[in-house]
Amino acid sequence: MKFFDLLRLVAGNLTRRKARVALTAVGVVIGTAAVVVLVSLASGLRQSASEQLYGIGDLTLIQVSPSYGGEGMYMGGGGAISSPSDVKLLTNSALEDFRAIPGVESVIPREYLMSSALIKFQKLEMYPNIIGIGTNDVADLGDTTDRGSTELGRGSIVIGVTVPQSFYDPNLRPGKEPPPPPDLFNQQVQMVVFKYDSEGHETRKNIALRVTGVLKETRGESDWAIYMPLEQVKLLNEWSQNRRFNYNKDGYSMAIVKVTDANQAMEVADQITAMGFQAYTPQSFLEGINNFFIILQVIFGGVGAIALLVAAIGIANTMAMSILERTREIGLMKAVGATNRDVLAIFLGEAAGIGFLGGLGGIAVGWLASQAINILASIYMANQAGQQGSGLPSVAAVIPLWLPVFALVFSTLVGMLSGLYPALRAATMVPVLALKYE
Amino acid sequence: MGGQVVRALDNVDVEIEEGTFTVVMGPSGSGKSTLLYLLGGLDRATSGEISIEGERLDQMDENALALFRRRTMGFVFQSFNLIPSMDALENVGFPMQFAGTNAKQRKIRAQELLAQVGLENRADHRPSELSGGQQQRVAIARALVNAPKLILADEPTGNLDTSSGSAVMRVLSDLHKAGRTVLVVTHDPRMTHFATHRIYLLDGRVVGEAEYESAALEALQIE
Repeated sequence: MKFFDLLRLVAGNLTRRKARVALTAVGVVIGTAAVVVLVSLASGLRQSASEQLYGIGDLTLIQVSPSYGGEGMYMGGGGAISSPSDVKLLTNSALEDFRAIPGVESVIPREYLMSSALIKFQKLEMYPNIIGIGTNDVADLGDTTDRGSTELGRGSIVIGVTVPQSFYDPNLRPGKEPPPPPDLFNQQVQMVVFKYDSEGHETRKNIALRVTGVLKETRGESDWAIYMPLEQVKLLNEWSQNRRFNYNKDGYSMAIVKVTDANQAMEVADQITAMGFQAYTPQSFLEGINNFFIILQVIFGGVGAIALLVAAIGIANTMAMSILERTREIGLMKAVGATNRDVLAIFLGEAAGIGFLGGLGGIAVGWLASQAINILASIYMANQAGQQGSGLPSVAAVIPLWLPVFALVFSTLVGMLSGLYPALRAATMVPVLALKYE
Repeated sequence: MGGQVVRALDNVDVEIEEGTFTVVMGPSGSGKSTLLYLLGGLDRATSGEISIEGERLDQMDENALALFRRRTMGFVFQSFNLIPSMDALENVGFPMQFAGTNAKQRKIRAQELLAQVGLENRADHRPSELSGGQQQRVAIARALVNAPKLILADEPTGNLDTSSGSAVMRVLSDLHKAGRTVLVVTHDPRMTHFATHRIYLLDGRVVGEAEYESAALEALQIE
């Protein structure tokens, strides 16, 4: 039997009992739509998560922290002793080792300010997140500026875009409007650094700083950071901690390793980990996030598949009924020379056809439903955004391209599988009994 | 079945020559339909041999039997067995789908055969729009579609009135005259006028005409 003839025959047979086929297909429509909607929701969650994580940082950057031994560093066989050789400090020579790894573009040490500090501007103040970096250009970290330059010099700072929002008026009377965030570009600000002796006496140090650059939004750590030259942070730390820091001996508290190609980041990070340090790339985090959402998609898809299972039972029932009604027709087909395979193909084709039709309908319904969800979500989000004034994800449900294709193939397969038993029964009927069936 | 012996044909020994018109007669339960279905490969014998043109039907598997039916045989049934959703033309062409004939050739051949049974102007009618006699002629056209050597008809006039029955008999007779082998199982004594050979069956046995007549008479007397 030719494939095209088979298709036409199957289509003709399906249109013979339109109402029954339609009702059976409705089950498949519901199941497929459930799969489409749930998986598109999971995809939407994944997309908005990665949108939010987009600013997690430049994918070419690896954060490296020193390792102080401990977990995972036990010597095999012997006692669980963490020997001094397990301690890996970010000394200058360690940084040199990193620079020697192929694919590494630059290695930049960084330090936090170790004491509490306050930044004052006019009558406003804020608690800053001061980061000292071992380069005179913030651009080395992959950041660019909105205004001003990325270059750092003594007495100058480059700030993240949301830093001005942290300013508040300490003398604000209750009930009064808080002041708008100040425009700090090219302004002089006062930094006050505090230190306390063992008796709790406070000493202050005032430093005048000029904002020479405002960074572009990254939605990452640097949005809230104030970058200073490392040397200056080191001096302030030495003053507040009353000790000297020797980076050749004590190491830095963190280093940023920048690779030339984002694809190498994982590999380089693994090498650094193998050297005994703790390396972290946004990529490994992203991978974890992705895995989580793939699992979520599978679980959501599975929930939808339960609806499809119910539909499959419906198809099996419809086909069993149909075969019972058409027993004599099956007998006739065999009498005029249809082989068992021909009969099997016809009835499997009909079952698959119901699945296919239901799948088409389900994709349409699922698509409409996810559009509706998106419209509802965007209305809700718009309200939320109005209150918070920040960008929230624009979509809730996303239908990836593979989803309709997968849904159609899957629903057709479900139809075929549920038609398998009835079709096999039809194919193996004894012709004479089928012909005499009343 | 309640201890009774169920005998669907038993001790039959029949030979049918090519080019004959054979009528099989016998009372209900004599096994005449079973004989026809066994010859057509639609039923399987539990013992004995069936061969057509030297090919042993009882030794074929299902697939081979299906192919053999397609090539060699055309069936005509008492209840026509037309497919209600197809028009006359499609019904006639239906068996050729399994033979893999393309749609254009199917149409030409089906039109030809409908003309042969005098229904060329009923090609687009569905079975429900045709009389019993017309339906049976469509069914005969369908039986001819793969140019079979052997036509097997099971009570072809059983559901028809006298005149449509006669028309069907004439069509079958014409087929015989055109060189085909025809085997008809029937109750209808008029069919014997067209036949070249007659087989009388009683309880699965082939009997002579005299014995058959006397058995029929006996049955009448009991009534």
